[in-house]
Amino acid sequence: MALLEVIDLTKDFGGVAANNHISLEIKKGEIIGLIGPNGAGKTTLFNCVVGYHRPDQGTIRFKGKDITGLKPFQTNREGIGRTFQIMSISGDLTVLENVMIGSFCRTSDSQTARQGASEVLNLLELEKDANAYLTELTVATQKRVGLAMALATGPELLMLDEVAAGLNPKETEEMVALLHTIYKTKDLTLFVTEHVMEVVMPISQRIIVLDGGQKIAEGRPQDIANNERVIKAYLGEKYVKGRKDRGSI
Amino acid sequence: MRTLKDALSFGDLPVYERIGFILFIIFCLIFPWILKGGFAQAVMIQFLIFCLYGLGWNLIGGYGGQVALGQAKNVGMSAYTVALLMVRWDIPFWVSTPLGVVVATVESFVLGYFLFRLRGHYFAIATIAVSLVWQQLFINWDFIGGARGLELPLKETPNFLYMQFDSPIYYHYFAFLLVMAAILYMNWCRKSKLGYQLRAITSSEDLAESLGINAHWVKVKAYCITGVFAGMGGAFYTMYYNYIDPFSVMHLELSIMIALMTMIGGAGSMWGPIIGAMILIPLDRYLGAWLGGRGIIGVDFMIYSMMVMVISAYEPKGIWGIVEKARGKR
Repeated sequence: MALLEVIDLTKDFGGVAANNHISLEIKKGEIIGLIGPNGAGKTTLFNCVVGYHRPDQGTIRFKGKDITGLKPFQTNREGIGRTFQIMSISGDLTVLENVMIGSFCRTSDSQTARQGASEVLNLLELEKDANAYLTELTVATQKRVGLAMALATGPELLMLDEVAAGLNPKETEEMVALLHTIYKTKDLTLFVTEHVMEVVMPISQRIIVLDGGQKIAEGRPQDIANNERVIKAYLGEKYVKGRKDRGSI
Repeated sequence: MRTLKDALSFGDLPVYERIGFILFIIFCLIFPWILKGGFAQAVMIQFLIFCLYGLGWNLIGGYGGQVALGQAKNVGMSAYTVALLMVRWDIPFWVSTPLGVVVATVESFVLGYFLFRLRGHYFAIATIAVSLVWQQLFINWDFIGGARGLELPLKETPNFLYMQFDSPIYYHYFAFLLVMAAILYMNWCRKSKLGYQLRAITSSEDLAESLGINAHWVKVKAYCITGVFAGMGGAFYTMYYNYIDPFSVMHLELSIMIALMTMIGGAGSMWGPIIGAMILIPLDRYLGAWLGGRGIIGVDFMIYSMMVMVISAYEPKGIWGIVEKARGKR
C-alpha cells in the first residue's frame, strides 16, 4: 500500500490553475524528488498535502486514510512533517528550545521533550549549537535547525521544501549527506522539492516533474534528465530545437 | 510533582535575576512596616494588583504575541459578580471569588473562541470593540447599579469571611500572596508545553501549525488563563475598595494600562510585567498627586506619556530588553 496517495488534485487561485489534475503515489521508504520551473505548482502541491490549502478537487490519502482538507497540525499528528523554504523561528529561544517545540508534539512532559530534542540535535550534529540563539547562526545551520524541528515531531513522511536554497556548493553537499544519514537512521520517507539539481539528482529514487500546474513526467533521475518535455519546460523550446539540430539528442 | 518542582525552581535563571527576585520578596514583606503612610500603602497595593493583571496578560500578550486589549472586561466581570453576590445575597468573598473567576474565564473562552479567528491588528480592534460594548451594557444595566456602580455593605467588625479588615496590611499581604502564586505559575508555564507553544505561535503561526500545534486552541487556552488572573485581580479589587462602577473596572483605559505596563517592562519575559508596574504605577500616582495637588492638571499625563514614548522608541522589548542588551545576550 502506498504511504501517500494524491488522486486527481486540483487547486485554483482565481483564474490560475496552480495544480491541475495531479496524481501521484509514494511508497514507504522511498525518496521522491519534485521539480519544475518557477510557478510550476510545487509549493501549492506541498501546501495542499500538508493542509495550508484546501484542494478544490481530488483526494489525498495518507496510510490509507483520507486526509483531504485536514489542518496542518492534524496532518502533522498523522505523521507528515515539513520544513520551510524560509525559516522564521523565534530569536528569543535557543536552538534546543526551538527543537523542543517540535518534540512537544508527541509529549506533554518537558523532560521527555528535552531528551527527544537532544537526540535529534545529536543526529544532525548540532549539539554544539544547542544553546545558541537562532540569529547567531549561519543560514546553513538555521536550515538544519528547521530540519531538526520537523524531525522532532516524529514524522513518517518528511516533506522538504527547498532545503538547499541559499546554500553554497559545499554546504549543499553536506546537506545531501545529512539527508542520507537521516533517511537511513530514521526509517523515513522523503518528499523533496528543489531547484538545485545537485540535491535532487543524487538522492531521489524517482522524480516527478511539474510544469504549469500539470505533471509532465515521472521516472528515474537519469531518464528525467534526458526527457525532452522536461528540458523544454526548463530551458525553452528553442534550446531543444537547437540541440536537435546539432544532433545531440 | 515535577510541575511543583518546575514552579519552585528558578535555577535556570542567572544569579542576578534570582537575587533581584529575593530582594523583591523581602521588599514586599517588610514594606508595610517601613512605610506606614496611607498613600504609600495604597500605591503599593495597587502595584500588586497590577502585577497580577500584568503577569496574566503577559501570557497571551507577551508569550503568545496577541495584542488583546480587553482585560478590563474580565476584571469587571469578576468584580461585578463578587460585588453583586454580596450586595444582593450577602455571599462571602471566599464563595463568590471562585464564581467570579469562573465567570471571567467562561467569558474569555467564548470570546476567545470566536475572536481568535482574527489575526494581528484585527484581533486587537475586535477586543477593544467588545470591551466597549460590555462597558456600555454595564453602564445602562440598572440591576447591577448602572452608572452609579455598586457599594458593598460594610460589616461592623473586621470579618475574614468577607475580607474586610481595619488595616491595609492584611490586604497588602493577601495581594502579595496572589502575586507570588502568579509568579510561580508563570515560572512553571514558561518551561511547559504551553509556554513553548505560545512562543512558537508568536514567531510564526504557520510554522507552529506545521509542528503539530493547534494554534487556535492554544491561544484560546492562554486567553482563558489570562482571564483567570484578571478575575482574581477583579475580585480582590472589589474587596479592597468596597466600591466598583463601570468606569473603574470596565474601562478601556484599564485594559490599555495593563497592556502598556507589560510592554514597557518587557513583554514575553518573566519579570517584564513586574518591572513595568513598578515604574508606571508609582509614577502615575505620585505625579498625579504631586502636580494635581498644585493645581497643575494634565502635566503628569504629559510626563508620563513622554516616558512611555521614550522607552518604547528606544527599545521595543521594553526595559527588560535594555537589561538583556546590557548583559550582551543579543
